[in-house]
Amino acid sequence: MKEASLLEAKEIHKWFAKVHAVSGVSFTIERGESVGLIGDNGAGKSTLIKVLSGYHRPDKGEVFIEGKKVKIDFPARARALGIETVYQEQALVDLMSVARNMFMGREPVRRAGFLNKKKMHECMGVLDQMGLSIKSPDVIVRYLSGGEKQGVAIARAMYFKAKLVILDEPTRALSVKEAQTVLDFIGQLRQENVSVIFITHNLHHVYSVVERFLIMRKGKLVEDVKKEETSVEKLTEVLIH
Amino acid sequence: MPTRQGRIIELLGRIILVREAMISLIALGLVVLFYFTSFQHKFLCADVLRTMFTAAPELGIIVIGITILMIAGEFDLSVGSVSGFSALIAVELYVLGFNPFLALAIVLGMSLAIGAVSGLIRVKSGVPSFIVTLGMLMLWRGVIYILTAGSTLRFPVGKTHPAFHNLFTGNLVGIPVQFLWFVLIAVVSALILNHHRFGNHIYATGGNVEAAKAMGVNTNRTKVICFMLVGALSAFAGVLRASRVRGFYVQQGTGMELMAIAAAVVGGTSLFGGVGTTIGALIGVLVITFLEYGLIVSRVPGYWFRAILGILIILVAVVNWLVERKRES
Repeated sequence: MKEASLLEAKEIHKWFAKVHAVSGVSFTIERGESVGLIGDNGAGKSTLIKVLSGYHRPDKGEVFIEGKKVKIDFPARARALGIETVYQEQALVDLMSVARNMFMGREPVRRAGFLNKKKMHECMGVLDQMGLSIKSPDVIVRYLSGGEKQGVAIARAMYFKAKLVILDEPTRALSVKEAQTVLDFIGQLRQENVSVIFITHNLHHVYSVVERFLIMRKGKLVEDVKKEETSVEKLTEVLIH
Repeated sequence: MPTRQGRIIELLGRIILVREAMISLIALGLVVLFYFTSFQHKFLCADVLRTMFTAAPELGIIVIGITILMIAGEFDLSVGSVSGFSALIAVELYVLGFNPFLALAIVLGMSLAIGAVSGLIRVKSGVPSFIVTLGMLMLWRGVIYILTAGSTLRFPVGKTHPAFHNLFTGNLVGIPVQFLWFVLIAVVSALILNHHRFGNHIYATGGNVEAAKAMGVNTNRTKVICFMLVGALSAFAGVLRASRVRGFYVQQGTGMELMAIAAAVVGGTSLFGGVGTTIGALIGVLVITFLEYGLIVSRVPGYWFRAILGILIILVAVVNWLVERKRES
């Protein structure tokens, strides 16, 4: 018998009033697999991942993690299940230090809820491993570059041993060089056998790092294709169709 | 080659970059200024110092609360009214024969509930806290007038319950006890903000509410708890005041909300949330107190206090803004 997929979504539907934002989407994600979720603005990508990360509840459909049916009613539940989402704008609090951001909502504490700062400084290990040269865990996030910020958010997912990392437009608004750094971070997630869903409308960024593509249009999944069976040209055709 | 002048400007610039250092400089400047302008250099004499350290905590305790709430990204304009209303209820209970300690406990519980109501309306309805607490400001001030019909109440707790008076408004080796309470509350709040999980949630909530939510911080609960804290601290300050002046008068606490926000802003707290420190709040309170009493002992007519404070607030806000811009680049 085949081992259960890391994640399986079956017939997911989501309506906003009369708008059918996601209509009957089904797909699977295997362990260690990285998948690109592509589609034009308003195709339903963001809504779909917000369902998976506990932000929205689906109106219909089921989600299975490692073969078990789960209900992801709020963001903390998603993280407890090993799904970590890195949002472009909402990943970090700019005014707070790197360490405080790394442990936001999951602070290690000693007695009576007081922070275990020694444990919080351990995050430097993951940051160094990723090749982020951040001087100290007390550096304020605001002074990091856009790429470094994405790196910190990805490091946070790695530190907490996420099984699936969902990246929402991680390269948008980044310079070419910084985008490349972020793509390298994603490569590191693969080395750690972490599954990745990479949401973007930049085919060229996603093409080099993923193994499979899911293409959405008007709320529907219109294509689920392995990289070796397609090309940038073919994908572009499907996208602009 | 950098000139000497250039180097001095650069050094000053670096000091100003640290917010607390900048406010401390202002506080120090005021002390020096008033020492020379005050009648017979009385500004630093024991009597004036004691007067300042007796009066400052009543504002200061509220400022600590307001600072925490502003870091979480919210306001409370009702602190003066809640402070006055709580003092009134405590005094009424005392007049009815309640032990003052019990009266204080009841009033603290009541003000926690008032804060919870403001906070819940804020987070559940989405109405800005400015509006919700403006309503609360008028509501509780109105209730004070309804209950007292404008009359003053006596609170001779020093005579009937010296233990209460000594614990909250007495003297300890020459230092007014309420100042020690102020420092204690400041230390506890600094510990919470810098070393406690809840402090992390407060900064996260005020800094980027969406990111905090996405990471599983219960931002609504965080805000409601901060509103409750402000309520309780306002009530405590109100009772301290009533105990000190041995009575309650209907104007008690009027205008306190703007003074508190002024002190918080002078202390470097951001109006947009996510930024602020207890030490900043403490120095902000001292600056306002030095200004108020320094002008008095320098025999400047009292009206100047507000005018100068107004200029100071604008100056500090503009300098903070310039500093932020410099840091950005």
